Amino acid sequence: MDLRLLEKLSCAVSLGHIDEARNIAKSELEKYAEVAEFGQCGLIAKIDKGKDKTLLLDAHIDEVGFIVTKILGDGFLRVASVGGCDARILPATVVTVHGKEKFTAVFASTPPHLAEDKKDVKGLDDIVLDTGISDIERYVSCGDLVSYKTDLCRLDGNKVSGKSLDDRVGVFCLIELARRVYDKDLEYNLIISISDGEELGLRGAVTSSFECEADEAIAIDVSFGDGPNISSEKCGKLGNGAMLGISPVLDRGVTEKLKKIAGDKNIPLQFEVMGGKTSTDADVISVSKSGIKTGLLSIPLRNMHTPAEVVDTHDLEGVISLLYEYLLGGGK
Amino acid sequence: MKELLKKLCSIPAVSGREEKLREFIINEIKDYAEYSVDQNGNLICFKRGKSRAKKKVMVDAHMDEVGLIASYITDNGFVRFETVGGIDAAVMLARKVVFENGTVGVVGMKPVHMLSGDEKKTLPKADSLYIDIGASTKEEAEKVISVGDTAVFYSEPLDMGNNLLARAIDDRAGVAVLISLLKGTPEYDFYATFTVKEEVGLRGAKTATFTVSPDAAVILEATTAADIYGVASDKKVCSLGQGPAISFMDRSTLYNKKLFDLANALPIKHQVKEYVSGGNNAGAVHLSKGGVPTLTVSLPTRYIHSPSCLASLLDLEDMYTFSEKLIALLASGEGL
Repeated sequence: MDLRLLEKLSCAVSLGHIDEARNIAKSELEKYAEVAEFGQCGLIAKIDKGKDKTLLLDAHIDEVGFIVTKILGDGFLRVASVGGCDARILPATVVTVHGKEKFTAVFASTPPHLAEDKKDVKGLDDIVLDTGISDIERYVSCGDLVSYKTDLCRLDGNKVSGKSLDDRVGVFCLIELARRVYDKDLEYNLIISISDGEELGLRGAVTSSFECEADEAIAIDVSFGDGPNISSEKCGKLGNGAMLGISPVLDRGVTEKLKKIAGDKNIPLQFEVMGGKTSTDADVISVSKSGIKTGLLSIPLRNMHTPAEVVDTHDLEGVISLLYEYLLGGGK
Repeated sequence: MKELLKKLCSIPAVSGREEKLREFIINEIKDYAEYSVDQNGNLICFKRGKSRAKKKVMVDAHMDEVGLIASYITDNGFVRFETVGGIDAAVMLARKVVFENGTVGVVGMKPVHMLSGDEKKTLPKADSLYIDIGASTKEEAEKVISVGDTAVFYSEPLDMGNNLLARAIDDRAGVAVLISLLKGTPEYDFYATFTVKEEVGLRGAKTATFTVSPDAAVILEATTAADIYGVASDKKVCSLGQGPAISFMDRSTLYNKKLFDLANALPIKHQVKEYVSGGNNAGAVHLSKGGVPTLTVSLPTRYIHSPSCLASLLDLEDMYTFSEKLIALLASGEGL
């Protein structure tokens, strides 16, 4: 696995109209597939094998971030969140403001002499963004976007930590899969959808799955990984393989096929049972047009929606292997 | 001085583990000053000036910074820790940290999606926090980390206009100014101390001052600037861009009035810290032996003790000029 590609995808930004990560995915996928861009939805990459059936694989490219709502003066900005935000982690967090140029900025932390109750979490209405540039209004306007700024770091074992691994790891798996299968004889025509706007309500997948004529689909996303203070019943363990989604909104046939492949090929797999919606693109792909039989694979991830997300790269290999076998016609 | 400060901010030196920083400083100053290292690890330097000093002046900057220390490794390979010096939980969450041997970890917590309403509004208790170094078992973790190992926040210094965003500006700002003073050509001889363990109770300064036995002392520091949007003007303490801040009183020292007035009369850009908060090596220095007239000159710094301290590089230059003149005035013996 080329972790440099994961690093590029993680550090790049895809938020609102900023398409850095999407452009990286596009240039990678163009090596193996016919790629078309669909404005709001993202990218659709097709590998046509002249087969009767088509499999749609989806991962979302967008990330959580912020948007400037007011210039406060003296270099300070007020922002709102774009997608889910964990306000607990904001003080002293470093971000990039995408104005006329890119500016580094930092969320203000409360000075010790002003901290009345250190236990309270401040929301975005009470915490300002500091650019350190007193006439910042010359370079930044309301509506400009703000992204987390951090490196991808290797941890012990096979784990890495960085921003936007939700869902760049999914995008990474699909690019790596395309590289491995584009010249193979497959059971399916393959469509890879790199969809936008997931964090704002699965928006990209609605339109991208409408654009595709697919018989089956699998969404690749992330889910909750294990850690202290987290019930092991509610999460997957990092390094123990992908989490197979099991839910009434998902197709039982696709799900069973993935399960059987894992058994046949000795690919580690864990299960994530949900009583209804999965809060992933699978929710909307499954009801696109007359319906697409849809499954879900999730990569366990810690510290979701923070700049310190953690995944185990072994789990990425598990996802790629499962999908590879699926495309070759496994699981019957 | 900007490049020097950036380099200094990149070297980890949690209290008690100042060795690497001390080596760097020695390498910088060895051609410009006489130096020795005391039993505690303080670096004590003597700088020859153009003239002999009438009063022995000691200029101090502390080498150490706040950080984390591994205290226990769980069966699942997570590292529990204590803070070394004061760090709020609010600035630790979801932060990458790096141990002395280069091992990177992140301060993890339960994801926001899994929190109940009350949990979302309250910071996790400090003793529920842990560092995730990627290990899956205690045995794996112990191959790379031992309890007692220290870590600092993972951050590289970044430019923000005329400002620098970096870890440990407290007190690498003082160290940068003091190194630059030693490289200069001062009017009078003076002593420079780069001290250890300030953040855990001003421990280095206590012994260094005893050794030097000065007639007067200047502490070069970084202090809280609360000139943040929404903060009332009487709570701002000091402001970026207004020059170095001198203190009349803080939580550790009621400063020598004569010395404060002398400094405040200097016709060089500076401000007076307008709030009684914080504390620094002056607390130990001014009580050394029979007492030492002491003054603190600080670089105004936002978000101090966080991974992302913000300070003005223009203030840093002004701090150098101000300190140079102040030291010369004190060493001349006039006014003291």
